[in-house]
Amino acid sequence: MNITLDLHDIQGNIVFGYGRWGYPLSRYLLFKFNDGVKARDFISALVPLVTSSAPLDKQNGGTPPPATTNIAFTYAGLTSLGLPDASMRSFPDDFRMGMKARKDILGDDGPSRPEKWDPVWKAHRSVHMLLTINGQSQEELDGRYQEIVGMLENTDGDVELLSGHRGVKGVNNLPYQSGNAIVLNGKPTANEHFHYTDGISDPVFKGQGRSANETIGAGKPTREPADTKAGWDALETGEFLLGHRDETCEYPIAPEPRLLSYNGSFMVYRKLHQNVGKFTDYIQKASANYGRPDDSPEVKQETIKAKFAGRWSNGAPLATYPDYASAMKFGQEWDNAAATLFYQTDVSAEQKSAARAKLEELKIKRRAFDYDGDIKGAKCPLGAHTRRTNPRGSLEFDVTGAFNTPGALVDRRRILRRGLPYGESSDRNDNDGEHGIIFMAINSSIQRQFEFVQQQWVNYGNDFKLANEKDALLGNHATDDQGNPIGRTVINANETLEQPTYMCSGMPRFVETRGGDYFFIPSMTALRMIGEGIIDPT
Amino acid sequence: MGNRFGNAYGLTVLIPIKHGTEDNRSYDKIIRDKLQQWPLDEQSPLSKVPNTYLSRVFLLNDVFYEGAPAIEEHLKNKYLVFSSNFFGELDDYLTGMWNTIGDLLKEFLQHCVVFDKVNSSADFVRYIKRCQIKTSLFFNGSTDKPLDEQLKALYVKQAFIHFAYLSDHFRYEGERGAIKLQDAFKRFVNLIDIKNFNVPSWPVATQSIPADIELSVKAIINNVKEADK
Amino acid sequence: MSNIAGKSYAMNVITPITGWPYYLNRFIFSLLQFSISKQLGNAGFLGKIVPTALTDYVFGKLNGLLTLSLIHYARWAIIKEFPHLDSSQPKENLKYNYMLFFSNFNGSWTQYVDSFHMSIPEGLDRFWFKNIKYPGSVPLQPFHDYITYNQIWTNHYYNAYPVAASNDIKGAQELSDALTRFIAAGAEQESAEDFQTRYENLLLDQQRNLGLMEPTPIVSLSAEAVLRRESEDG
Repeated sequence: MNITLDLHDIQGNIVFGYGRWGYPLSRYLLFKFNDGVKARDFISALVPLVTSSAPLDKQNGGTPPPATTNIAFTYAGLTSLGLPDASMRSFPDDFRMGMKARKDILGDDGPSRPEKWDPVWKAHRSVHMLLTINGQSQEELDGRYQEIVGMLENTDGDVELLSGHRGVKGVNNLPYQSGNAIVLNGKPTANEHFHYTDGISDPVFKGQGRSANETIGAGKPTREPADTKAGWDALETGEFLLGHRDETCEYPIAPEPRLLSYNGSFMVYRKLHQNVGKFTDYIQKASANYGRPDDSPEVKQETIKAKFAGRWSNGAPLATYPDYASAMKFGQEWDNAAATLFYQTDVSAEQKSAARAKLEELKIKRRAFDYDGDIKGAKCPLGAHTRRTNPRGSLEFDVTGAFNTPGALVDRRRILRRGLPYGESSDRNDNDGEHGIIFMAINSSIQRQFEFVQQQWVNYGNDFKLANEKDALLGNHATDDQGNPIGRTVINANETLEQPTYMCSGMPRFVETRGGDYFFIPSMTALRMIGEGIIDPT
Repeated sequence: MGNRFGNAYGLTVLIPIKHGTEDNRSYDKIIRDKLQQWPLDEQSPLSKVPNTYLSRVFLLNDVFYEGAPAIEEHLKNKYLVFSSNFFGELDDYLTGMWNTIGDLLKEFLQHCVVFDKVNSSADFVRYIKRCQIKTSLFFNGSTDKPLDEQLKALYVKQAFIHFAYLSDHFRYEGERGAIKLQDAFKRFVNLIDIKNFNVPSWPVATQSIPADIELSVKAIINNVKEADK
Repeated sequence: MSNIAGKSYAMNVITPITGWPYYLNRFIFSLLQFSISKQLGNAGFLGKIVPTALTDYVFGKLNGLLTLSLIHYARWAIIKEFPHLDSSQPKENLKYNYMLFFSNFNGSWTQYVDSFHMSIPEGLDRFWFKNIKYPGSVPLQPFHDYITYNQIWTNHYYNAYPVAASNDIKGAQELSDALTRFIAAGAEQESAEDFQTRYENLLLDQQRNLGLMEPTPIVSLSAEAVLRRESEDG
């Protein structure tokens, strides 16, 4: 079934991420409404600024806009805007309760508990709207920001921009949260602060207009080989957009009336602080005895890092590149091709063309794998981060054909990721600085998709037969009575590479929650109707 | 045949409840109220019944009307439903049940049809068999070992994992390390007494992790380190 | 009242079934049960004459359920006659037969219904074949609604090991057996070096079973709230 989406109706940053158009900077604004009428006027005034999912060079009269703007609401926000009670009652529980109230499901305890969050999140129910700006440069980002702040004056205080975001040097009352792609050696990267390449294998769904090549390794697995086009199908649109068919052959549960939810979605926003110092330190200590005794510390550390994540720092997947040498070769080829294509000046057209093709080939290789040949986790450990958050067909274990489709347990648990890192982490021993990830996940059901992955696959291991073992990178590792960290993970042996079964213990919590909530992203139609106050489910 | 899967037995029992009231409440409501007061987990009466894996009790009030064009019909009696998964033979299980919580059952089931005639384990076994619904399909997704063996295995696994982590560094200390590892393991073998399914073992029906498992393994490793000095 | 005991969820469902589907269901269940018995080697005389190819094929239909690995024990029982013990008890006079389904699985129904119905939709359809107004296992919402409509809440649920998932029980047995063999294989005068070699092999062999058990995750917020209230009151 070929799906055509009305891209002008869907808000931007869903069908494709702004990252691919080169918007490496972001700003996140939180608002509170004190009055329904003026707040709705504010929304209506914002509508012309809101970016849709149409290709960016088609929205702004031929050139991509200098800054994009998108809006999402919490349950409290929609209530304040005067949405009728009948509509509000039709929203799912997860959205209604909000992220803070569901901390026990998410494992936001200890250092991740709400009492430790940025002040802006702590007042009960006061976050109503999230406004996201993505910009190509600091000036353009700031320009859009000033424009919006200017519009607030017309609301006579009935719409408040909330302060209380933490910033560097102990500041904790900023009026917005910043995000930025990490720049290394003058070049923007796709890295996050532990220096892994992030954002690979974003799901591909019908209607995005992705090619078969782009679907390899990103859609849902079929029974065909994973390194072929036939090995992957695009996921159903309804897993990510309300009002469209989902993987279980129906429309996903959605709020009423249909015009309110159609082409909309739900979004999870989480500010995740990263303890860079603890991570650097742990990798150093934990890798000391890994693998062959004559491996250099660099090899050992890089390998342990890869084993935790399921991918090497450069993004090469362990499933295809199980050893250091082949992963470095991958990285070298990538860097060479990228340099030829983007940075070198005296390069011929043919060379550029070849480099482009090479980069495309490597991009596919990064995604085109499954775990069928790695049931024991010798290449990619059974508990590695990417294996947990996207098991592909591996939940059939060694019983190929046990399920209707290889991805039967996975296809309904995918999320789109649209966030950016924040802060800088040049001091690799620092834990307390402001640096981490603004994690944004988009899905049509928060409890079925994001929360399930977080609760069952990140902070638990039963589906992988790993009992209560947690994801090494993201898990909410606990401490004992004396405050010593007690996180544990087993790295499965690889006999070919002389890597015996490796036990890592004393893992501290590397990632801590610092704030966030659950949001509803309305379509452009719904947004207009919310601004006009005409939503009526009767 | 349908009731078993290996040595595991799936018992389904529907016990009819007498019509009548006491203190203005019907017998079935009284039974349900009592049932919901039963303490849980290790305090549950069912924890005393040997070899019970997982078991549940509920009141079957009536069948459900599915809506047109289905026929509407109703049960003339209310039933107490008892479902149990256990190890072993039915007769042994029911006899064990009577011997351990027979008094409680006499009181609890006093308002069930002709239960007042049940006065011995033999009576009880016969009674329950008359109330039994034959299982059409029993799926065992777990094991069919005796309960004490299952619990012992849980204990052994938890203890061994602690051992593996706590002794891990010995693996990388050359000859000295190998000796310590072997020494530690010998002590570990004594600690867990793997063939003894009674003790030490995993406490039945506990909702928490017994802290002494890790502590006892830690003590072993510490002793080995001390001895090495 | 609770359907939850630690990591296990008690599902009780009663659904009407009648006419020829009733007999077909009985037959299907018997065939499945028989194939299981044959696999386990206790199918008796009949087991010798029914071809293995057939029972292997039928048993293979349970592969999905086995691979899901979420279930401790599950049972289907079809009631043709409700127990009638005495003339003082009114005799039931029902047009339908009733199928009882009991399951103990890990996770809550809301969380895992997705997993069940995406992985073994034909299997589910076989189990509830032609039960009155059974909508089929796909799509999800009608199936989910049908089961919860016909679900009876447990008044008392007992679990001999609430902190253990079905995988933990199975993994523990595997590890215990391996450890028993390992201990027995140790020669009296085994050198430390030989011991370590054997130990490394044990770790390699059992590396899948090296996850500790803990009491989390919570199965539902409401259940958690009830537990908290009870511990505060009690």
